[in-house]
Amino acid sequence: MLASITSACLLGIDGHPVRVEVHLTSGLPGFAIVGLPDTACREARDRVRAAVANSGFEFPMRKITVNLAPSSLRKAGSGLDLAMAVGVLAASDQVPGGELDALAFFGELGLDGSLRPVRGMVSLVDASPVRTVVVPAASVAEATVYGRHEVRSARRLIEVVEALRSDAPWPDPPTPAEPVRPLAPVMLRDLADVSGQVAARKALEVAAAGGHHLLMVGPPGAGKTMLASRLPGLLPPLGVDEALAVARIRSAVGEPLAGGELPMVPPFRAPHHTASPVALTGGGTGVLRPGEVSRASHGVLFLDELGEFATAVLDALRQPLEEGVIRITRAQASATFPARFLLVGAMNPCPCGMAGPEGCTCTDGERARYRRRLSGPLVDRFDLRVDVDRPSPDELLRGEPGEGTAVVAARVREARARAATRGVACNAHIPRRRLDDLCPVTPETELVLEGALAGGRLSARGLDRVRRVARTLADLEGHDGPAAPLHVKMALALRAQPLVAAS
Amino acid sequence: MDLPDEAYLTGIASIPGVGPATMRNELAAGTPPEAWDRLRSRPGAPTDLDRLWARHQEAGIVVCGHQHPAFPDVLRDDPEPPAVLFCRGDLAVLERRRVAVVGTRNASRYGLGVAERLGERLGAAGVAVVSGLALGVDGAVHRGLLHTGGAPPVGVVACGLDVVYPGRHRDLWQRVGAEGLLVSEMPLGLRPTRWSFPARNRIIAGLSEVVVVVESRQTGGSLYTADSALLRDIPLLAVPGPITSPAAYGTNRLIADGATPVCSVDDVFVTLGLTSPTGGSAPVPEPGGVAGRILDACAHESVTLQALVDRSGLTLPETVAAIDDLCRTGWLAESTGRYERTTPVAVPALDVGARARR
Repeated sequence: MLASITSACLLGIDGHPVRVEVHLTSGLPGFAIVGLPDTACREARDRVRAAVANSGFEFPMRKITVNLAPSSLRKAGSGLDLAMAVGVLAASDQVPGGELDALAFFGELGLDGSLRPVRGMVSLVDASPVRTVVVPAASVAEATVYGRHEVRSARRLIEVVEALRSDAPWPDPPTPAEPVRPLAPVMLRDLADVSGQVAARKALEVAAAGGHHLLMVGPPGAGKTMLASRLPGLLPPLGVDEALAVARIRSAVGEPLAGGELPMVPPFRAPHHTASPVALTGGGTGVLRPGEVSRASHGVLFLDELGEFATAVLDALRQPLEEGVIRITRAQASATFPARFLLVGAMNPCPCGMAGPEGCTCTDGERARYRRRLSGPLVDRFDLRVDVDRPSPDELLRGEPGEGTAVVAARVREARARAATRGVACNAHIPRRRLDDLCPVTPETELVLEGALAGGRLSARGLDRVRRVARTLADLEGHDGPAAPLHVKMALALRAQPLVAAS
Repeated sequence: MDLPDEAYLTGIASIPGVGPATMRNELAAGTPPEAWDRLRSRPGAPTDLDRLWARHQEAGIVVCGHQHPAFPDVLRDDPEPPAVLFCRGDLAVLERRRVAVVGTRNASRYGLGVAERLGERLGAAGVAVVSGLALGVDGAVHRGLLHTGGAPPVGVVACGLDVVYPGRHRDLWQRVGAEGLLVSEMPLGLRPTRWSFPARNRIIAGLSEVVVVVESRQTGGSLYTADSALLRDIPLLAVPGPITSPAAYGTNRLIADGATPVCSVDDVFVTLGLTSPTGGSAPVPEPGGVAGRILDACAHESVTLQALVDRSGLTLPETVAAIDDLCRTGWLAESTGRYERTTPVAVPALDVGARARR
């Protein structure tokens, strides 16, 4: 009369184990779900009833109570359907109860008894307290990512029940628990496609090596997007832990993984400039979902047409930029999502986009309005700011191809290895208090910095950032010891003052 | 009633529809109290002259009619003299050498740069710069002047001194009033009108010994200042610009019509009869070698780092090193990610960087 089934539900990007307790009793036939289910979860009632009946089993004409424990946890979505159906069948003795304690069940049911995948399978399986999990066949790829669980899969409810009754073997051979298989990096777009643009290429390389945020300003057609899309290839491939974190987030937003393999290429997210604040930060009603900043975590967040984004959206980036996480707080729930990404912005110098004093047809007011959209604190967080010109016709037709991704990526790897010896993933993460220790100023470099400070080319806030960038430049050249004056000069040159109101 | 003549003039000037010409005609026909009695019945005329006058006194405005001892001597023999002037600040500024620098509100980066540099150099030489506090060139020249802190600025505006127009120049407006001189033909509370800008422009010309137009469009208000200068036999200079730039159309046309082109800031000093601060010393020799190639690549445009690399044929590190040296020695200035050529002036080394600002 009582059955207890193991499952899990998704909160944010994390799975939480849930016990599905099913109790049958005499009384008026009915089906009640208690334990804080949301609408989709409560609708399981109708799906389970139809799926059980359509799979050829008897739906007990008794009073059914389903309790989802712990009852204080809000359950959302349809991932508990399968567990409820198995619970109902076990409680009505249509399925033997013996083996059930060693299994966890995940998946949504169709009215015909088919099993459908749900969001967040990576985290759900990871949260499972028992070693063997039963998932929809379409979710096997996600379920095996961690490789810590034995995964059995089925396409229909009846296949699950037959396997449990030992009438038939599990339809797909069980996937053994095995370590993750990293996916070989696919051939990304090559940096050699970008001809000329030595300044922007250098900035890109420094951004990849040091994790410094990059802002590119230039007219349409200068190649800003082309440059930014080469960045994931320059970044070192993800470590296994990072790749797993990325897979969790991807799974939680419902993006399937291809082929059950772990993508090791850093994510590259390029939301359109009409994105809402919630789309970027995450949130939403009911279940909090991660936004673009989290999906870009461990990778690149590319904001094209930065000047067209709503001011509220851009200012929402400040916390993740500062802390590497984003905390979403709503009346019903709160969640902390990872959000440590490399921010790359691209924008036109003014609304008409025609850089240069001669071509620009914008009025003074239009330019001022455009610049006001970027708050000073946000612009300040871009360690690297380069003006990108349109390549000259000569360059386009006869320019020699620049260095390829492989060559530059090798330098980036070397530089990151040097940063790792200092105990940071990349130089942009060097904390302020360790700056004097790790990025010391020599008398020669002090002279350069002093000149820039006196000349107004550098603000006190920018000073620390220039020191970190200079460190990265030195690392890229395999230069040990303090950064040389030329590194500091280069760091200054790659940190142009864009968009400071000219009038 | 023992109000001074200036109080009546303030009252007359506050009447809607009474401009400088009407005032001149009315005052030619009688004393200010008589003119006031004739005009006070016009619609919109102030009803309480005592209060109006008290308001100007409290605001610390110096009101001077044509006969007032404080009235600027240079305007006494003007062909269209203002009947009354409202001033805030130090009228003694007008005893200095005075140059008007005016231009379009919608200036190019080049125009703004020239204006700012003119302000800096003139200010450093102790020359008072007269301008209109408008957006664009007017604002840039006074910013340059205030930046060096040499001579005090003179701002001539087209509305009451308590009506800040344009609103974005509130800070500039206050600094000019505090550190230099603010002049208007309009009493407190009057908003600018269509005709008050050309009227203001004639005062800018009248107060100055030399008028420099930095940039002007085909039908710019600064062309009215230029006309006023010609009418008063005041030397007129114009800054040449690219023939492709709409912002330089008016100034290039002025040069074609006989205005003296400003080929360097020194030309303004020559017109004033002054030796420029750099005139005495030998010009700094242009650097050669790598630095010279960068300067050649700059070609008097504002160019990006990338363009300098492409044009000079140098590597990125060589270019960066050369740029840093040139910025330090004053041959190059960075502004919003672009580099422009400048001419170093013989100033102490520590001060060089100051010009690279903004």
